[in-house]
Amino acid sequence: MTPFHLQHKTILVTGASSGIGQQVAISISEMGANVVITGRNEGRLTDTFKKLKNTNHQQIIADITNESDLQQMIKVVPMLDGIVHCAGVVKPFPIKFISKEKIKETFTVNYEAQVELMAQITRNKKLNKQASIVFISSISAAHPHKGGALYAGSKAALESFSKVIALEFYTMGIRSNCIAAAMVKTPMYEYSEQNASKETMDEHINKYPLGVGKPTDIANATIFLLSDASKWVTGTTITLDGGFLLGGM
Amino acid sequence: MDIGDFIKKIENEIEEITPGVLKADTNYRNIPGWSSMHALIIIALIDTEYNVTITGSDIRSCQTVNDLFTIVKSRV
Repeated sequence: MTPFHLQHKTILVTGASSGIGQQVAISISEMGANVVITGRNEGRLTDTFKKLKNTNHQQIIADITNESDLQQMIKVVPMLDGIVHCAGVVKPFPIKFISKEKIKETFTVNYEAQVELMAQITRNKKLNKQASIVFISSISAAHPHKGGALYAGSKAALESFSKVIALEFYTMGIRSNCIAAAMVKTPMYEYSEQNASKETMDEHINKYPLGVGKPTDIANATIFLLSDASKWVTGTTITLDGGFLLGGM
Repeated sequence: MDIGDFIKKIENEIEEITPGVLKADTNYRNIPGWSSMHALIIIALIDTEYNVTITGSDIRSCQTVNDLFTIVKSRV
């Protein structure tokens, strides 16, 4: 029997209303998982929910940056065999304009919410033994870009946090890993395209030997990390960049 | 809102510009050494000083400092 499946696993996906989170939810449902999706936007979350294959799924409308939403979610969430943290924002801002408010804007969503969620989930014993945690990070954590102080910083913090989870929960067989993605075609990509100049964006994309990524590329690696096929993989980051970091183009 | 003040703020933030050179009808893309970093700075400056959100596509669709000022004024 192949270990590359998610049968009998219940997986929570945050940020499931769009982009990578939505595709992860769909793909893991196709691999047999019972999926619990959360997101802030009811309409878009329901869209994702309708796209899930098979049954036995659950949707929880929640803003995980909001304390009472988080508490409510912890109450209703079932025992989990995996969590995929996809919630995130990207807002380029040059260093000299950074304020407390700007730091909060990015770090609340990209770091604090994931940390608080993990604290509550573990404290409330909602993780089964052998559970697998996946954080969607970015290559910018280790290879930042101009204007990326907050985004890259929040992802670097997240990657460190993932390693601490791996250390604190290995006795339960719980694993934690990150996926450092380069440019992937999502609404966040469209947003970046609006904010960078078109020329800058095109120039960037030309540096990808295998082209920019698709949400399914990220979902497939996530399936591996959630499945028992990766049972010896923990505390690490898998880079998915279509060859971008080779730097030869 | 005053365009003179707007220009001064931009001049102050972009080191490559000699103060007094930037005019309302200057095409900012012709500023020597103009790059995506300058676009980021202008977006952040407008966000910080005027609490107005402009995007990279606004920067692309505008030509002159005055075009940009008109957008900012319309969104204050």
